[in-house]
Amino acid sequence: MDLDGNMKLNIGAEASNSHEEGITKEQDRLLPIANVGRIMKEILPPNAKISKEAKETMQECASEFISFVTSEASDKCRKERRKTVNGNDVCWALGALGLDNLAGPLRRYLHRYREVEGDHGAINSNHQDDHKATNSGAIAKTSFGQ
Amino acid sequence: MRQAGIYSGILSGGISGKTGPHSLPLARIKKIMKKSGGGGGDDVKMISGEAPIVFSKACELFIQELTKRSWMLTLQGKRRIVHKEDVASAVIATDVFDFLVTLVSDDADPTINILHHQNGNTS
Repeated sequence: MDLDGNMKLNIGAEASNSHEEGITKEQDRLLPIANVGRIMKEILPPNAKISKEAKETMQECASEFISFVTSEASDKCRKERRKTVNGNDVCWALGALGLDNLAGPLRRYLHRYREVEGDHGAINSNHQDDHKATNSGAIAKTSFGQ
Repeated sequence: MRQAGIYSGILSGGISGKTGPHSLPLARIKKIMKKSGGGGGDDVKMISGEAPIVFSKACELFIQELTKRSWMLTLQGKRRIVHKEDVASAVIATDVFDFLVTLVSDDADPTINILHHQNGNTS
């Protein structure tokens, strides 16, 4: 479950055994095939089937997608001398890379997320020298459900 | 430490209004993000709490888009099973997925009739 994955990260339980590193690294750079396969299945008609290799290819594509967009967002932050990549940067990068049909729905998604949750700032516990930059715009706490 | 309770609410699709496990593991997304090299070759240093959550949704939309396009090619071949060649061919046929071409080029099946002019069609 996602919670378990997050909790493992928080308590530092990532595998550090050297003989497992090869396997762990491979798993770490891809999204879980079960999640990927489920998303694929849900968008297709009921009679559709998906080969395992097709799911594996999609895993690779999804990871490359994350890396590609993150690089662009990270470059923008570097140019603007900010150290933290935030949700706006990701949305911006999607638009900059021509993935506009994703950028629009995501801005709305991010906006609603901020309305509900506010801004928690950076995940990393390192010293944040640009925490203010992540507090973009008004964050009104409205009741969820519009 | 992050508030796991709030995040788990987001993870279970509360924000999108959907129920069910549509989400992707945030920790894994964050790991993949951190391994992305920037233009200057530096690792991504710091990532806000919301960035992996945005990517969770973005990846879902991306996978859906690529899957739909792959399926169109599967149907063209009068098949019902999506093969990796369909995914590869859908990548090649879509301009905005150019960044994936080298990743999938070994998998492309040249006998699959490539659909052109499908860019911008988001069914």
